[in-house]
Amino acid sequence: MLALESVTKRFGGLTAVGGVSLDVDEGDLVGIIGPNGAGKTTLFNVIAGYYRPESGRVVFEGRDLTGHPPHEICRLGLTRTFQIVKPFGNLSVRDNVMIGALTRVRSVAAARTDADRVVERCGLGDYAGVVAKSLPIGLRKRLELARALATRPRLLLLDEVMAGLNPAELAAMVELIRRVHAGGVTLVVIEHIMAAIMRLTRRIVVLHHGEKIAEGVPARIARDPKVVDAYLGEEFTLE
Amino acid sequence: MRRHAGAIVLFGLAAVAPLATRDAYFLDMIVLILMWGAISSAWNVAGGYAGQVSLGHAAFFGLGAYSAAVLTVHWGLSPWIGLVLGMALSIVAGLIIGYLSNRLRGPYFVLATIAFAQVLLITASRWREMTMGSEGIPVPFKQGFWALGLASKVSWLYLTLGFALALYLVQVYLEVSRMGYQLAGVREDEDAAQALGIAGRRLKVIAIAMSAALTSAGGTFWAQYVGFVDPFYVFSIDLSILFALNTIIGGVGTALGPFLGSILITWLEHYLRATLSDIAPGLIGVHLIIYGCLLIVMVRFVPQGLIGALGALFTWRARAAQRERHART
Repeated sequence: MLALESVTKRFGGLTAVGGVSLDVDEGDLVGIIGPNGAGKTTLFNVIAGYYRPESGRVVFEGRDLTGHPPHEICRLGLTRTFQIVKPFGNLSVRDNVMIGALTRVRSVAAARTDADRVVERCGLGDYAGVVAKSLPIGLRKRLELARALATRPRLLLLDEVMAGLNPAELAAMVELIRRVHAGGVTLVVIEHIMAAIMRLTRRIVVLHHGEKIAEGVPARIARDPKVVDAYLGEEFTLE
Repeated sequence: MRRHAGAIVLFGLAAVAPLATRDAYFLDMIVLILMWGAISSAWNVAGGYAGQVSLGHAAFFGLGAYSAAVLTVHWGLSPWIGLVLGMALSIVAGLIIGYLSNRLRGPYFVLATIAFAQVLLITASRWREMTMGSEGIPVPFKQGFWALGLASKVSWLYLTLGFALALYLVQVYLEVSRMGYQLAGVREDEDAAQALGIAGRRLKVIAIAMSAALTSAGGTFWAQYVGFVDPFYVFSIDLSILFALNTIIGGVGTALGPFLGSILITWLEHYLRATLSDIAPGLIGVHLIIYGCLLIVMVRFVPQGLIGALGALFTWRARAAQRERHART
């Protein structure tokens, strides 16, 4: 479904992403982990069209996306969320989601129906009329996800949607992501919370200094000496 | 219908005013309030709805004023043709400004718009063969609708009322349509809007070009109404500021706001001019100082403008209830 072919992105002398290749199949739920500055978000920015890579290609469903602007990539069925959430602050939760829905439907009324359904599904029903900037961070993360879902993606890139959540919110978010995945959306998830990502994903990719240093099932990644060295600090066990 | 109650009252009152009085001063005031309200609404399309604050909209106003005047003076053509030409030129100019808005952010964009209007001002005041230079163009008066030579103030009132209504509806469209919602997204956060499939840059450029064309139409009407085009007025930054001032004081990004602002500012200007010059001729510029103070007070204490203040008055109970509900959850 998505293929990265040795993608490289440099900022001046700094190689943020160096020759990363990755294949995501339809129905996958892939995790991306790595220390701060490993190039995870940069990789998302390249895939979603915010940065143009110096070399390499991004291929989505057989189509070369490299150099396409973000809005076209979204319309093709590949949507991303932002690590630092970007709600439309002065608009209501419903209107936020509706703007996403309007990418798929032309009629405002139909988009409102769509948005209400997505808002409900994401557990934001009680806040539909609330102005987005007054939401606490946990709900803003959920709004970020809801808005992306309203564009009906086939592949969704989630950038740390679990960061900053309290345990109850975290459990709800994991559950929501599972449901989205069960609903047929292929997911690539950047995350720092190891317990969550180990449970959630089937395959984990580890980035370090912009390079892919490991890839595999969660259990193997947790014991991989290179990963332990670069990121985990000690072997990670799920109790 | 309820959300348009304010507009219905306002435009309704303007429509029946000639039945109540034929006082030329009073009718002139209504024409000017509607005219400046409509043109400020055109500014609002870019400055409010698209979030692209310009202090160079006099450029489009002047293009509209000059297009009609020049075509009439040199070739005897109807000002309606000038209106269309002015709008076409303004769309081109708007596309240039729109392109700049994608390169320059915030204050840099504002400076670019000011410079743009200044360039047109210099051109108009130097290109003597075409524009009669700094002396300006007296617009010849020819009776008839086709020549926009309307002798009666009442005809002008209904013409500007139509223009004002059209601008009000354009703004309402930007509140309820797909384009309006998408534009709101771009205004709030362009990166996020793009991630949701919105061609943000193109949408901004379209909004600015629309705003430019509508402002230009206002410029044509104004020049035909007043009968004189002076480059130092029609391209002036004072005028650009007036459009923004009316809108900010009335309520940025609201359909009625520019008209409310226009009522206050247009009336205030005439009132202050008359009273101050009665007191002492030296006080004539003082109304500008009063504007400035008013703007500071509004932005500091009522940032949503008059419409926000009125809205708060009418809906304070609803809001209090909502706050309470929100606090409980």
